[in-house]
Amino acid sequence: MISKRALVRLMAVCTIVCCFAFSGPTAFAQRDAVPTDQAIIDQGKELFSSWACNTCHAVERKLVGPALAGIYDRRDMSWIYAFVKNSQKVIASGDDYAVKLYADNNNTLMPNHALKDGEIDAIMAYVLDRELNPPAAAATAVTGADGGTTGEAGIPAKYMTVIIVSLIVVLVLILVVLGLIIGVLTKYLNEKKELSEDDKEIVNQKVDLGAFFRSPGFIGLVTFIVVALGAKNVIDGLYTIGVQQGYAPKQPIAFSHKIHAGQFEIDCQYCHTGVEIAKSANIPSVNICMNCHSEVLKDSPQIQLLYAAQESGKPIEWVRVHNLPDLAYFNHSQHYKVGGIECQTCHGQIQEMEVVEQFAPLTMGWCIDCHRTTELNTKDNGYYDRLVELHNASSSKKMKVEDNGGLECAKCHY
Amino acid sequence: MIMSRRFKAALPILALVLLGACTAGGDDPGLEYAPQMYHSVPYEPLTQIKDKEAGTWLSNREDGLGEFYNSNDNNEFSQNVRMPVPGTVRRTANGSLPYRLKQEDLLIAADVPNPLPDSPAILAEGKRLYEVYCDHCHGSKGQGSVEETSDALVGKVFIGVPAYNSQLKKGLSQGHIFYTITHGFGRMGSHASQVSEEKRWQIAKYVKQLQNQ
Repeated sequence: MISKRALVRLMAVCTIVCCFAFSGPTAFAQRDAVPTDQAIIDQGKELFSSWACNTCHAVERKLVGPALAGIYDRRDMSWIYAFVKNSQKVIASGDDYAVKLYADNNNTLMPNHALKDGEIDAIMAYVLDRELNPPAAAATAVTGADGGTTGEAGIPAKYMTVIIVSLIVVLVLILVVLGLIIGVLTKYLNEKKELSEDDKEIVNQKVDLGAFFRSPGFIGLVTFIVVALGAKNVIDGLYTIGVQQGYAPKQPIAFSHKIHAGQFEIDCQYCHTGVEIAKSANIPSVNICMNCHSEVLKDSPQIQLLYAAQESGKPIEWVRVHNLPDLAYFNHSQHYKVGGIECQTCHGQIQEMEVVEQFAPLTMGWCIDCHRTTELNTKDNGYYDRLVELHNASSSKKMKVEDNGGLECAKCHY
Repeated sequence: MIMSRRFKAALPILALVLLGACTAGGDDPGLEYAPQMYHSVPYEPLTQIKDKEAGTWLSNREDGLGEFYNSNDNNEFSQNVRMPVPGTVRRTANGSLPYRLKQEDLLIAADVPNPLPDSPAILAEGKRLYEVYCDHCHGSKGQGSVEETSDALVGKVFIGVPAYNSQLKKGLSQGHIFYTITHGFGRMGSHASQVSEEKRWQIAKYVKQLQNQ
């Protein structure tokens, strides 16, 4: 019979041994300590999304922060409690693991969470459950979504060329075959003796090409077509002097409006901040690029150029595409904010342009045309109430920009 | 003799044909008509021509530089734009005073009340601005970028944009939201250069509404 005292001693020794075993620097076999009760797992799942853990952490892979699977093997529970509640404090305390973790994750701070120990246990329970029973459906959903984005409607341009070329080949073949048939038929008819003279003449008819080409009618027609086409091209060309329509210079960084404005639907104004408050729509500075590219596509060589610009402070020298002559005044806010004109009206389908091209001619005729045909945007603008009244009293047509001085010389030239 | 006379007669036409070929396209801006009227004499904010020789052939500038030279050598990188003096108050600030709280003043910033009154017009403007500056990362309903169904296209690539109605973000004050737009928070960068103070308060009003959804 062991005495009561001995029993107490034994228990004390066991406790101490256990404490040392579980608080050692390498192994934290607390996996078993994590609750596996379904109710607690469900609670953890709920907390995981309501506290938005899922925005930065996934169980099986790294997102913004590290993958959580196995955290209960790497750290002890008290460390996890402390880190979740106030990660900055743990890092500041000089804890080696925390400092390394912070550095490994781009010095991204985890915010403080006012969670109770029991709630953190529940989250751990959910993490363990996810680790042991990974959801199969999630993987297929991700690949499905990726596949969906690549498909595009319509026939691609390269297939179109192939189709057209094969059609032309078929047509030429048909021509050759028809020529051969004519030859065979002529030969067959000539071999027949009972043809009359008239029929023979028709069968053996020779087209005198030389005479046809030398005829004044033909020469006159060809000369007319050549001169007319040439003159049209020259006149069109002369009209484009000083007009930069179609100018699509190569930029120092291969920025694609198709990706940013088209695929990701970022509003034009997010980067071109001046459009509703100023004369110029503005070309964004590097800090605006960095709002997203601090994280997105970090390894791309083109994005590295952005980082270089940010590091050196040297602005990126974008090549100006739209350059209105200095003799004319144009104000973006007046057109976008007051007039309510879409960017695409003057800049074309910018969200489909890989390289920006000048879409509009930016000539005076082009401006005037628009001012003549565009109705004035007078909605909810008290300034125009009386003007519209006066206009309607004297005219049956709607009030256009030209009726508000849109054709006055000094509006744009001063 | 006859040939040369014919050639002379054809010269103007030939010149016209050559001129007609000066069309813009690709890297070539095409021929400029009356370049002296096209190029700005004052400094142009979004144009910078650093070549001092550009347009020497028609220059009548007093400093002897090329006609098209348009850069300000007194500025860094000879830029024509420069940052306003620190503490500058915008003329169009609409009565609002500059926000002087710094990055480290979050605790004070969170207590700053929204100076704008509650009105449907201001809320609607906040929504419009939210859809310009915020929704591609935070989602049209402020739902963040976690769920598969989220329409935050950029947020999904950026990864880890929390929902406004999550426990962590739900209770944040409008002062905190304003601070976040101004100085950035966590991985979000500062949007102060894009959104004026007044607009930031308008957005804060709308975000407050999204937090409760």
